[in-house]
Amino acid sequence: MLIKYFATFRDLTGELSRKLDESPATIADLLELLSVRYGKAFRGAVFDDGALSSLLILLVNGRNVRLTGGLSTPLSPTDEVSVFPMVAGG
Amino acid sequence: MNGWTGTTLRVDLGRGTITREPTNMKVAHDYIGARGMGVKIISDEVDPHADALGPDNKLIFAPGPLTGTFAPSAGRYNVVTKSPLNGVIAGSNSGGVFGPELKFAGYDALIIEGQAKKPVFLWIKDDVVEIRDASSLWGMTVADTTEALREKTEPDAKVACIGPAGENLSLIASIMNEMHRAAGRTGVGAVMGSKKLKAIAVVGTGAITVADPVAFKAAVMDSRDKIHANPVGGAGLKAYGTDVLVNILNQSGALPVNNYQDAYSPVADKIGGESLAANQLVRPKGCFACVISCGRATKVTNPLYAGVGEGPEYESAWAFGVDSGIDNLDAIIKANYLCNEYGLDTISMGATIACAMELYELGLLTKKDTDGLDLSFGNVASMVEMVRKTGVGEGFGKRLAAGSYRLAESVGRADLSMTVKKQEMPAYDPRGVQGIGLNYATNNRGGCHVRGYTIAVEVLGQGAPTDPHATEGKAALGVAFQDLTSALDSTGSCLFATFGIGGAELASMLSALTGVEYSVDDFMKAGARVFNLERLWNLKVGYTAADDTLPPRILTEPIKTGPSKGEVNHLEEMLPEYYSLRGWDENGVPTPAKLAELSL
Repeated sequence: MLIKYFATFRDLTGELSRKLDESPATIADLLELLSVRYGKAFRGAVFDDGALSSLLILLVNGRNVRLTGGLSTPLSPTDEVSVFPMVAGG
Repeated sequence: MNGWTGTTLRVDLGRGTITREPTNMKVAHDYIGARGMGVKIISDEVDPHADALGPDNKLIFAPGPLTGTFAPSAGRYNVVTKSPLNGVIAGSNSGGVFGPELKFAGYDALIIEGQAKKPVFLWIKDDVVEIRDASSLWGMTVADTTEALREKTEPDAKVACIGPAGENLSLIASIMNEMHRAAGRTGVGAVMGSKKLKAIAVVGTGAITVADPVAFKAAVMDSRDKIHANPVGGAGLKAYGTDVLVNILNQSGALPVNNYQDAYSPVADKIGGESLAANQLVRPKGCFACVISCGRATKVTNPLYAGVGEGPEYESAWAFGVDSGIDNLDAIIKANYLCNEYGLDTISMGATIACAMELYELGLLTKKDTDGLDLSFGNVASMVEMVRKTGVGEGFGKRLAAGSYRLAESVGRADLSMTVKKQEMPAYDPRGVQGIGLNYATNNRGGCHVRGYTIAVEVLGQGAPTDPHATEGKAALGVAFQDLTSALDSTGSCLFATFGIGGAELASMLSALTGVEYSVDDFMKAGARVFNLERLWNLKVGYTAADDTLPPRILTEPIKTGPSKGEVNHLEEMLPEYYSLRGWDENGVPTPAKLAELSL
């Protein structure tokens, strides 16, 4: 599984991307795993009282997880997950 | 008179006359100002069949009622005219400080008509308005013109001008103000060039009166707080600028690559806002009364492309970047700087180069056409050189200066021009984001994203979750965004304010400022009125429902790689519902009932 970080998440993690040997079953499992690795600031950026933060854009293979089950979105070892804060432009 | 100044300035360059007229307050109330007022004036005064580059076309510069106040990010003016690129009722708006200065000088609108016999500039200092000789300025770049005019007039004059591209009547020429801010789209710079009007220099010392200062201050502070509280308006845009969109559009499978041949690039990150912030960004920069500061003051030290200036925005980075097969951000910024110097629309310039590259790779253009340049995708040096050639109107640049539609049509492949109504589409692939395709197809100025930015909902997570690959609900979304933007543009506000506030907040500020009560419904209805009046004018020009379409590639050629692999745009599923929601018949013509509802 490949995790790609963008914008402020590069500062929070100190990384551009990370390959995981583990295979978390869902987005909730993945975010919990990453929060343990990166710490409190990361946890605060991805969770809001245990729910998926509304300030987060999370794509699994290009699909926003809010359309695929949120924290329950299932994952497979070949997935690519992109992690963004809320961004915009035009 | 509150909010509006009550005065419209009319300058006939052919006759050399200058007149002041009372602003038509019925028009001001119904159309708000800026874009709306400009559209109403063009609609009333310009024959839809007039030559866009002839003396009968008019060029309107109009700030809005909120422009120049401390309403958040309300520092914009609109340019409205008949487009020489595609004949529609066109317009483009720009930030900076020129719009507020025109307002401080006392004008709701400046109407330029006729054509001067020799180059002139307009000097405005409050009530003093003069048409002055600009022969010595003709041929100058935007920066040189701006500096020369400040010497000729006053050091703090605010200058809007054209560069050599506008003088040469390039159909993708922009009007620039404060050197780096652009009214970029629809070829408005060519209209200014056709009138031999090199520049407008303004100093305004007046004030804007407010109907209910206490209520206005409260409404403004409420809007400021909401924009600050929004993660995008409050911090996101300031940190990374609009170029931060490169990665999210790419990861969503909607970043057009190589003239829209694909919608995913493995090297996109090299040209994104994160890379820009790390390497070329000097500081964020804001326009008048801006609380966001999305602008990028940048510096390139690479000796091949060294320079100092502003940009790129997301659209510019895309057009000169992956759409042209290029991942060199230094070169992209250089191309952006050249566009600012010569006065060119970065979107249409970059997308025209991308089109030329595809035509070259197909053998439809050869080195005999291109002054010996290799135009293969990814040729960085050729990309930068083509911008220069277009800017000065040299060799192959003369063909590029007419935009991609005419270039592709000249070799029998108009289908390879990624345009709608002859204007280049921006940086969101409608195969990966269905609703933006509907907006492109129905937008009154052709391929345009800002006048119906459904991306905010479809990709960027604003509002309820919406599937970008689905067509359901996109017609209603498109109508809502188009009407809101029409009204917002007419106030003089920046689109990015909507990352935090909406029609309710804008109507509240407008009501307290002007003393004219606008409900949210009144406000949105004014937007619908502006949009429908534009539509009516375009129908008179000769546009029909058949023109509400997208390039064949977008409708029939599936995306090859990335998250949107296999997708095409399903415009046919959205357009009938869109017409119905608009109150238009099956031919895309507003019904009598809709016209009556909007008092048109």
